[in-house]
Amino acid sequence: MFAMNGFFIAGAVICALALLVAVVATIIRKHPDDWALIGAAATELFLIVYGVGAGIRQAAGNAVQGDPLEFWGYLITALIMPPLAFFWAVSEKSRWSNAVLAASAAVTFIMLFRMEQIWH
Amino acid sequence: MSQKPRNSRIMQAAQARNADKAPKPSRSTGLGRVIIAVYGILALAATVRGAYQIVSKFDEAPVAYTLSLISGLIYIVATFSLSSSKSRAWLVSLWAVSIELVGVIVVGILSLTHPEDFAHPSVWSGFGEGYGYIPLVLPLVGLWWLYRNRSERHA
Repeated sequence: MFAMNGFFIAGAVICALALLVAVVATIIRKHPDDWALIGAAATELFLIVYGVGAGIRQAAGNAVQGDPLEFWGYLITALIMPPLAFFWAVSEKSRWSNAVLAASAAVTFIMLFRMEQIWH
Repeated sequence: MSQKPRNSRIMQAAQARNADKAPKPSRSTGLGRVIIAVYGILALAATVRGAYQIVSKFDEAPVAYTLSLISGLIYIVATFSLSSSKSRAWLVSLWAVSIELVGVIVVGILSLTHPEDFAHPSVWSGFGEGYGYIPLVLPLVGLWWLYRNRSERHA
């Protein structure tokens, strides 16, 4: 297991909020909700910050415990996902657009969890 | 009354392009979008992971890691064929989804009977346990969804 750190807690909170908003939006909206879309954008923004932070950590000598290739593979995959979910969601007016954003937020959290496991 | 295009060539080009497109198949609307999104996520996860496994540790389990990559490619096919409006796409989807179902069951059984070859992490090993059994449930959902939209088979 890995110790709780600022990055993980911040990421978990952002993903949880994005997930919650998107799930609520799936129930009450019949179109992609602005706040659900902002949630997806927030997870993407977090991943960018996390990636920059990870790059600095690694450059400063705090090496990845696991395989660095695996870590960066996860990060790049995670970075690709929210934008795809975002554009997939806005390309149709439907309540299910919000469910797509919810799935993206949930998977982002799982990937953050895996990245933390690999790092520590 | 139809709106007359203004003097913008880009607008006209965009409208002409949209007019050419076949209407979206109903399997790619509504709930179908969620199903396709989950397929897309699995496609990305399995393909990247399979590629990584093959690059970094192919010798450990060549069969499992090759299957890992193949499963990713099949998820890619399913993702695109489910959302495609082309006439054969429904049938391609049926094939892709069926192969996934067979794959997850066969590899799931093999990872129990031949753990030395198959008990390596991949989307299909252990009936998809590493992915919350979504690889096992998703093809069933996919088949049900294709059945519901079976009128598009020859569309």
